[in-house]
Amino acid sequence: MAATDNSRGAVGQKLSFAHRWRGYKAHHRETLRASLVKMLHEPMQTVLTVMVIAIALALPASLYLTVDNVQQLGSNFESSAQITVFVNKGARPEAIESLEQKLNGMSGVTSVEYISAQQALLEFKALSGFGSALRYLEDNPLPAVFLVQPMMEGEVDLVQTQKIITDITALPVVDDVQIDMAWLQRLHSLIEMGHKIVLALGITLGIGVLLVIGNTIRLAIESRRNEIIVVKLVGGTNAYVRRPFLYTGLLLGLFGALIASTMLFSCLIWISSSVEDLASLYQSQYRLQGLGITGFLSLMLIGGVFGLGGAWIAVSRHLRDIEPR
Amino acid sequence: MICFDNLSKRYPGGYEALRNVSFKMEAGEMAFLTGHSGAGKSTLLKLLMLMERPTSGNLLINGKNLNRLSNSQIPMYRRQVGVVFQNHQLLLDRTVFDNVALPLQVSGYPAKEIGRRVRAALDGVGLLDKEQQKPMALSGGEQQRVGIARAVVHKPRILLADEPTGNLDPQLSTEIMALFRRFQSVGVTVLIATHDISLINRMQLRIMRLEDGELTDDGGGYGGY
Repeated sequence: MAATDNSRGAVGQKLSFAHRWRGYKAHHRETLRASLVKMLHEPMQTVLTVMVIAIALALPASLYLTVDNVQQLGSNFESSAQITVFVNKGARPEAIESLEQKLNGMSGVTSVEYISAQQALLEFKALSGFGSALRYLEDNPLPAVFLVQPMMEGEVDLVQTQKIITDITALPVVDDVQIDMAWLQRLHSLIEMGHKIVLALGITLGIGVLLVIGNTIRLAIESRRNEIIVVKLVGGTNAYVRRPFLYTGLLLGLFGALIASTMLFSCLIWISSSVEDLASLYQSQYRLQGLGITGFLSLMLIGGVFGLGGAWIAVSRHLRDIEPR
Repeated sequence: MICFDNLSKRYPGGYEALRNVSFKMEAGEMAFLTGHSGAGKSTLLKLLMLMERPTSGNLLINGKNLNRLSNSQIPMYRRQVGVVFQNHQLLLDRTVFDNVALPLQVSGYPAKEIGRRVRAALDGVGLLDKEQQKPMALSGGEQQRVGIARAVVHKPRILLADEPTGNLDPQLSTEIMALFRRFQSVGVTVLIATHDISLINRMQLRIMRLEDGELTDDGGGYGGY
């Protein structure tokens, strides 16, 4: 008995590192569990906060998806951006042949298709419905045409395409060169503007998320003031006191991102059937692009980082004020 | 174990709570700290808890000068000290078990060890059967005993008590003093701040008396040496 009493009184007991590590891990698990339980105990507060975060994340994310889809749509059209080269009427066949060789030899050109004046006339007759009217013309009014397909890898290279056009115009027996680039340029500036709006909206709403989480954590700190004081009095470190609030912030951010993803996913399903109908009217295989697994994970990462960040700001601002007195 | 070396504490505004206080307590010693309210008892305990820092003078614990401890070292220091609070500072939304477990949890003890030690501490104060109750369901004396269990569960070198028998009847006070005696007997240094004269009179212990921040009396009890 005396021996056990002595060991009981043994002062300054030391814990081994392995013991501490296990205790530390267990404490993290326990803190995470306790944070979850606390959130579930105040369902209204939690749901409201999570919804605000979800909306703040979903808005820029949906705009990002819209811009992304427009860009996809644009690149679908870009692949069909052909340069039409009109050949001088009355050009000799040898000249036309040498033009074809030159066009084929140009860098940045993937394919060249020759449509002779006769072919063009036949096509016009077949498609336009003015076939009978053409009979009154003495000779074929249509010029021979080359359809030149510029190289397009991913994004359209406007500078490169412009250079090709200048080069072709300088070639002999070329009458005129046409490409409908203006709308492509407009589309590109629109997409660029969209990206900027996404960024601005993202930053603004990101600050909003930080504030919302910060405020929620501030209230949580205030309501647990007494507990914090007692924990500090029995030797709890600042990190120990901080931990549950950081977990709460992290969870709020992650739940917010999860709900935001769900919202985007539902919207996509809702819209995509009409998009498919529309696309089929245009004989297009176009499909809406969703978040995808990368997008989902990015959104979760952003939610988590903002949740943790907001909690960190609140905790570092308010915990300092709470000291046992 | 505890050494106050010419220590003074002046609060902002000029109020001098402690003036040139010097005394020593050996390891395993038990003493009363007494005096009227406002005499400086609470300030002295707060200095020992590092809730306050002295204005001048040194406070040595086990030969280490507390003035040299940085704020980040305070938690480690507090883990060597057990405190019984006047208002017992229990967390009302946690069970008795969780309240007593707190000092072990913050020090990173594994769950199994916590369970063993908490039950030993609760057994020591006779509350083993109440471990799953909330503090509000307990009587004043039982709450105070939970506070004591929490103060000793991590086997501190020093046990401080601020009016531990504040609102308790003599019977309970005696039981609690007997508990403190037991901790003293295993080598814990025990300092009890109280103005419960009848309690002091019943125990033959060293008494330190504070008056207006000065240590005016340091010696044997009324029962006398």
